[in-house]
Amino acid sequence: MALRAAVLHHIRVPVQTLRLKTNPCAPSGSVRLMSSHDDHLTKEEVVDRVVSVVKSFPKVDPSRVTPEVHFQKDLGLDSLDNVEIVMALEEEFKLEIPDKEADKIDSCNLAIEYIHNHPLAS
Amino acid sequence: MASAAISRGEILYLYRSLLRTARQFCDYNIREYTKRRTIDAFRQNQNLTDSLAISAAYSDGKTQLDVAKRQAVVYSLYAPTIKSVMEAKSI
Repeated sequence: MALRAAVLHHIRVPVQTLRLKTNPCAPSGSVRLMSSHDDHLTKEEVVDRVVSVVKSFPKVDPSRVTPEVHFQKDLGLDSLDNVEIVMALEEEFKLEIPDKEADKIDSCNLAIEYIHNHPLAS
Repeated sequence: MASAAISRGEILYLYRSLLRTARQFCDYNIREYTKRRTIDAFRQNQNLTDSLAISAAYSDGKTQLDVAKRQAVVYSLYAPTIKSVMEAKSI
């Protein structure tokens, strides 16, 4: 006990005020992450981006792509291509489309409608 | 694997699952390889008519899906520290 007291008596721990350089909790400017209210996609933007994704698909003739085009009837694609296009759309709009919904999307029109109504599309 | 006919929906579901799993790999090369391999294999087998051959291909695909799922987890533990140059937004 005596030793402990002696040691404690001599040791001095410098006291520092801990100050964080930045406060991580403070709102950072105008960027509101995780907010779904701002910048919801406009219909025109969705149409443009869907059409450009479909046009960039290797087997598709870009000149035949319109916002109303049907993937299998008009573009000569098959069901495997259809799955690939829906996956490409998921990547473009950072979505996860459930299988049941993905099966129904077989034309640009339906894709545009689904993505436009999806709250998390970005 | 029973010789019961495999429905079109099941096959498309397997295709989608494989492509989804392919996206989970951290390494660009493995991610792209898995995707390419999936697409090629389904294209190669798309004209199969024999129901035995179809169920054999289907069960092989299922096994590969399990492998891909497991490896996606294992590789995530050893993720590359730098990205592939192919992933660079602008050069």
